[in-house]
Amino acid sequence: MAKTLANIFPNVIYQGWLGDGGWWTSIVQTLYMTFWSAIFGGILGLVFGLALVVTDADGILPSRHLFSVIDKIVSIFRAIPFIILLAFIAPVTQKIVGTQIGTTAALVPLSLGVFPFYARQVQVALKSVDHGTIEAAQSVGATNKDIIVDVYLREARSELIRVTTVTLISLIGLTAMAGAIGAGGLGNMAISYGYNRFANDITFVATLLVLILVLIVQILGDFLARILDHKNA
Amino acid sequence: MAETIIQLDNVSVTFQQKKASVQAVKDVTIHIQKGDIYGIVGYSGAGKSTLVRVINLLQQPTSGRIQVGDDVLFDNGQEVISTKTLRQKRRKIGMIFQHFNLLYEQTVIQNVGFALKHSNLDKKAMQAKALKLLDMVDLADKADAYPAQLSGGQQQRVAIARALANDPEILISDEATSALDPKNTNQILDLLQRLNTQLGLTVVLITHEMDAVKRIANRVAVMDDGVVIEEGSLLDIFTNSKEPLTKEFVGAEKGSKAIAALEDAHLAQLQPDEIALQLIYFGESVSEPLVVTLYKNFNVEANIIYSNIDVLGETVVGTNFVVLKGTDDNRQKAIDFLKKANVVVKQIKAGDVDHG
Ligand SMILES: Nc1ncnc2c1ncn2[C@@H]1O[C@H](COP(=O)(O)OP(=O)(O)OP(=O)(O)O)[C@@H](O)[C@H]1O
Ligand SMILES: [Mg+2]
Repeated sequence: MAKTLANIFPNVIYQGWLGDGGWWTSIVQTLYMTFWSAIFGGILGLVFGLALVVTDADGILPSRHLFSVIDKIVSIFRAIPFIILLAFIAPVTQKIVGTQIGTTAALVPLSLGVFPFYARQVQVALKSVDHGTIEAAQSVGATNKDIIVDVYLREARSELIRVTTVTLISLIGLTAMAGAIGAGGLGNMAISYGYNRFANDITFVATLLVLILVLIVQILGDFLARILDHKNA
Repeated sequence: MAETIIQLDNVSVTFQQKKASVQAVKDVTIHIQKGDIYGIVGYSGAGKSTLVRVINLLQQPTSGRIQVGDDVLFDNGQEVISTKTLRQKRRKIGMIFQHFNLLYEQTVIQNVGFALKHSNLDKKAMQAKALKLLDMVDLADKADAYPAQLSGGQQQRVAIARALANDPEILISDEATSALDPKNTNQILDLLQRLNTQLGLTVVLITHEMDAVKRIANRVAVMDDGVVIEEGSLLDIFTNSKEPLTKEFVGAEKGSKAIAALEDAHLAQLQPDEIALQLIYFGESVSEPLVVTLYKNFNVEANIIYSNIDVLGETVVGTNFVVLKGTDDNRQKAIDFLKKANVVVKQIKAGDVDHG
């Protein structure tokens, strides 16, 4: 059995489990990049998305100026292709992390790459909260904090989980490109070890692992969104 | 002694849009007394919601003065109350809406608890109070359900419990029954009336269903195109309205239409000894067999051409359009008799006018 596997996937086996270019190492690198940039980019995106909704003309703290500034920042970052962003913010990465290459260095462009995408998604999700619900909350004397926490975030929570799922999946896609700055990961495995060296079996397995990862995120996200949704009895 | 609890003076609201500006409320002055159930009726877009949202400053007016209880909230084009005080004030002005506007990711009791968040009750007392409120609206058994699991009428009752959480003196109901079937509508209206009598709650009832107003209101304002065109006691509005729109709302135009139809037929040919009258009577006089009495006592024939009975709160109000036939003297006696019996008599048309 092991013999046959070695025949079908010779290069896959050769890569090994641990060490540089090992499968386990790559999986961990992908998870590491996804997790931390999801945290940083997620917080940033949530804050920006929330700020967009709150300062909008029909928001609870309308401010045309603030809204347009935030809106422009998000739009501009969203317009930069990720692979260019990688290079473009290298000096910033250097300042923050101390190096421009490696898995940790990739967190800076990944976070900055994903946050505008997430911010827009959060904006849409929060906008799904009916304005009447906010008025009702105001009519019982709710503070702005109450409205943000108990109305916007809580009422839209399953929407938020859905958009978070979508964002996580596209973030996994972005981590593949981070291989370009030596961040490693499954994407890098597929390109550097598989595609560039004509080792198609490596590309195949790496892709399969990415797919499995995406599937897990999707299933988990769908499940959470469903059990946290009480809008329809 | 009546005490004004909501005082809106010369309130205007203009919405500035990109191109046009919409004047949703135009120079409206209304004073609502403590304990009133104050109906505000008007067609869609008349400005009813905009007007009442001004009461708790969910909507800032463009100009005017707003006083609720002893507190002036708005004067001289600006809020004259701090944000914090306004929040406290809002807790004393409950509000319910057409689409309930509950928190759908929170249980029924959490919805009520949300309104108590800033009360100085501890968690246990809060829970107890929320449960008491739910009990008041007959929903204690649904405390742990989510709103989506309830019927529309039940959801509205949750909204009422939430609105009453901070023991408000005022409850504003903006089309609260418009999304409900007749049975639930009446249940909610009766609940509002009960709260009005039991708690002395002042209710502002916005609706386009005249039946709701008839059932529980004691005063009515009619709005059209941002203006309050007529205002008065329920009986007044029903029996003595002047504006065509008001008449349309209270159904008085039905009688006028009957008259108009008859004008073509035989009313135009009123004899010199005939007179057309509108008779409005209340309560016990309704049951009096008028036609018989008039003929027996005054030798006046009464021919009823239109008749309608309304129930306004507890009062039964009858409207008859009649043609009286008899000698001048007898007709006058009959009219005096009617007036003495507390019947409102309005002359529509007299036969001798045509001949005079
Ligand atoms: N936020 C707003 N911005 C612009 N125009 C508005 C706004 N709110 C209301 N209006 C306009 O003001 C007018 C009055 O609206 P309002 O909602 O007060 O009417 P309404 O009498 O409550 O009607 P309905 O019975 O349909 O609820 C309408 O012409 C409406 O389009
Ligand atoms: Mg309205």
